[in-house]
Amino acid sequence: MTSSTLPEQTAAVPAEEPVERSLPSWFYILIVLMIMIVFFSIWHGTKFADRTNFQNIALDASQLMLLAIGSTFVIITAGIDLSVSAMLVLSAIVGGKVMVHFSGSPEQVRKYEFPDQNTGIPLGLAAAILTGLCVGMINGGIITKLKLPPFITTLGTLGICLGLANILSKGSSVPYVPIDITREIGAREIGGVRLLVIISATVVIIAAIMLRFTRFGRYTFAIGSNATAARRVGINVDRHLIKVYALSGLLAGVAGAFDLARFGTANASTHSTDNLNAISAVVIGGTSLFGGMGSIIGTVIGAFIPATLRNGLVIGGINPFYQQVLVGGILLAAVYFDQRRRKAEERM
Amino acid sequence: MAERTPVLATRGISKWFGPVRALTNIDFEVYPGEVVALIGDNGAGKSTLINVITGVLPHEEGEITFEGKSVNLTPQEARRLGIETVYQDLAIAPHLDSVANIFLGREYRQPGILGKMGFLDSKQMRSDTLQQLSRLRVRIKNIDRRMTTLSGGQRQGVAVARSVRWASKVVIMDEPTAALGVAQSGMVLDLIKEVRNSGIPIIFISHNMPHVFEVADRIEVMRLGELVAHLDPKTNSIDDAVSAMTGSIRMPTGATIK
Amino acid sequence: MTLHADKQARAWCGQRTMIDEEKRAVELALYRITRRGLIKVGAGTAGLAVVGSRLSQSSAQESYKITLIQGVAGDEFYVSMGCGAQQAATETGSQLTIQGTEKWDATLQIPLLNSVVQSKPDAILIAPNDRTALIQPIQDALNAGIAVFTVDTLIEADIAIANIASDNVLGGKMAAQELAKLINETGSVYLQNTVPGASTTDQRQQGFEEEIKNYPNIKYIGVDFNNDDPTTAASQTAAKLQATPDLAGIFGTNLFSAEGAATAVKEANKTGQIKIVGFDAGPKQVQDLREGVVDLLIGQHPYDIGYKGVMMAVDYLKTKQAPTEKTIATGYTVVTKDNLDDPEVKKYLYVADCSEIPAGTPEASPTS
Repeated sequence: MTSSTLPEQTAAVPAEEPVERSLPSWFYILIVLMIMIVFFSIWHGTKFADRTNFQNIALDASQLMLLAIGSTFVIITAGIDLSVSAMLVLSAIVGGKVMVHFSGSPEQVRKYEFPDQNTGIPLGLAAAILTGLCVGMINGGIITKLKLPPFITTLGTLGICLGLANILSKGSSVPYVPIDITREIGAREIGGVRLLVIISATVVIIAAIMLRFTRFGRYTFAIGSNATAARRVGINVDRHLIKVYALSGLLAGVAGAFDLARFGTANASTHSTDNLNAISAVVIGGTSLFGGMGSIIGTVIGAFIPATLRNGLVIGGINPFYQQVLVGGILLAAVYFDQRRRKAEERM
Repeated sequence: MAERTPVLATRGISKWFGPVRALTNIDFEVYPGEVVALIGDNGAGKSTLINVITGVLPHEEGEITFEGKSVNLTPQEARRLGIETVYQDLAIAPHLDSVANIFLGREYRQPGILGKMGFLDSKQMRSDTLQQLSRLRVRIKNIDRRMTTLSGGQRQGVAVARSVRWASKVVIMDEPTAALGVAQSGMVLDLIKEVRNSGIPIIFISHNMPHVFEVADRIEVMRLGELVAHLDPKTNSIDDAVSAMTGSIRMPTGATIK
Repeated sequence: MTLHADKQARAWCGQRTMIDEEKRAVELALYRITRRGLIKVGAGTAGLAVVGSRLSQSSAQESYKITLIQGVAGDEFYVSMGCGAQQAATETGSQLTIQGTEKWDATLQIPLLNSVVQSKPDAILIAPNDRTALIQPIQDALNAGIAVFTVDTLIEADIAIANIASDNVLGGKMAAQELAKLINETGSVYLQNTVPGASTTDQRQQGFEEEIKNYPNIKYIGVDFNNDDPTTAASQTAAKLQATPDLAGIFGTNLFSAEGAATAVKEANKTGQIKIVGFDAGPKQVQDLREGVVDLLIGQHPYDIGYKGVMMAVDYLKTKQAPTEKTIATGYTVVTKDNLDDPEVKKYLYVADCSEIPAGTPEASPTS
């Protein structure tokens, strides 16, 4: 840390101008979510507005939330990760197979006996997370070292992961996963809150702190804003990007572990549009696809909107397909208003 | 004239890009507390020379000395020695605020374990920035607003403030007033004078003769990869400068025009 | 932020209009109120919820509320099932809601099921998308006091009140028998299946494979899984056509499987030469049957599944007694070009809209 050699100024630093903070980018979408909640509460009463239901919504949104948080970091660097859904299913399948392998001999598991499941289950979960991390690092490596655009790179790894997932699982659900995992982890509650919800909430908080208060977050914004400038001041852009894509993969791996814990199986044809849903959540939450700006809070709100919408419509007996239409509309509106707001802010 | 050691000097620098000779035998130096303007027509080699003396490009012949000692420069080494560059495109991150830009790549971290985890000391960086900006009389109404909300001159101010903050020895500017209007250019020229007054020398490239003649203490003219003239703004005229640049007056290389 | 501060700020930038500044002041004030008021809004929401619940409470609890969760929405099999269910609901004075997701995907169906549970129906009829993944969610529904019946597909646990479905092993057997008849019991046969792991189609494959062994002159060359995509089914079949010159017959275990296989056969100009037996009698397949592209269909009775399902649910809700038979098997109809217009056959064809079903009462007992 070099210090300036300018002589100390004897005149006092002028008083700071009044702080003129702009509204956070997620303000309006939060209003939309709150209106939605109030509307469904009035329409459905306690069927919607009760603790169990809110927990259901949080649980159903949890995997998308994890994917979207990883995508937030990626998109802020002006990149994109289309492979998140494939990383999720591949991680779940690898984790599931490892879990089955270490929970008992082939003859035993076929009879649904799992004598070693206390080893098998943790190993399987770890394998799932590790798989996601590795693929994420590969994504980062290809993008930085081979200099391929993120869109194409992650499109390629999407296909590779999906293919591997299908090969490993032979196209069907992974069988003989120890069913206790759904009881002990998937359905477990701590203080009345589902463990999985607690885990995803913890991830949200850590990610938000990382993005706003650490050097890692600062560099993420800097690289997305002007990667050349970042390089010029000595930031190792390549290394940072690898970390960002690795993070995206890691979270996809955790989401895959969630699949095993919740459903007790893994299937390659699930979550097929979750990569696009994650991107939608991020953009609806106010993060710019062009990089340099974004927030975790916005992503969280963006992930809750489709889940809340779907839940409210189904309780009302309405065709949930309308949810797809509405979310698409909200996405367009969110981007439009965000563009307008940003133009109004800028000076020429 | 007293013997002074130049802060940064080149002796006999030559550079080729393949078969093309971009720099021929450049002897150039800059002393503390002066503003040196580097002028020349397009393709004269100004940017190439700047890139060589900041370590961005290698040179094939000659040597570079820093405070009298011979050095082998890379961009990181140059930064470490206290040589900072303000590029024509400013190299700022437009979505970040002034504080973040000034400390880009050199952020203060919180003390202790939090700092090791990467937590930033925003409070310290903010007060440091306020000091810097006021010292250089750069007026920014709110240092927490994104750079996109600032005018061109203000952005230049932040870029210069950044280089001054970290430059203990030399500040180099590439076309600092090129994209600016009259009022904003005035701000930048005042800034250059402030920096010079604090003792740090500035080398700047410019096409704008009035600006050059307003702030420079010395003018070095380049043409076709060679240093062709040393001019004194007090005694030489803009016409002299233009002639030297275009080569309409023939003179031996390196001659000083009186 | 005060308006005074606004004006001061304006002095610096000197470009914004007064209106913008005032607007921003309002927005920021709203933002601050919102931040402080989030807790109040939360309490307010709870209050609204209490009021709302009183408003939405129905007057009397006489008619039962039943929700049918299809395996996938838009599939004519499940549409017909819904029609049968609706008929039974009308006859018993119950309220029927039909829900389904756009894909055969357990991770989509489970959130749907959880939301349906929140709407507090008296009974749920569900066609589970995965035999393991749906176990816990169905158990949760049962724990919430809802009577859950599985229709069409099964789960790997014996927790539902009852299961109403076709006997798919039997269906596969029938398909093998009919196909063998069509190819005069000689030649190679090929199976087009959908997604491995769906109990229904797995059982059809099982029944087919077991039965086909009884024909010494028929060679079973194997199965391909098309992931419930007719395009994949077509390309897989086309490849098999190239590789197997003496291919005589194909069995497609569901709508998309037979459709895709038929397309490939048509494109290879082998229609009529290669006999195709399909499972399920949807409109597209019936058309194929008419055009001679497919030769025979094993039609299930989804209408009956829906009808019986609702009847059993209402019965259970009234008497609170577990049914004596936990598995109800519905029957099949062999559909060919010749018997298509036979009224006994016609009423079992699947429809895309309930108005297309000729008035007909479902069978009283299963036939084979």
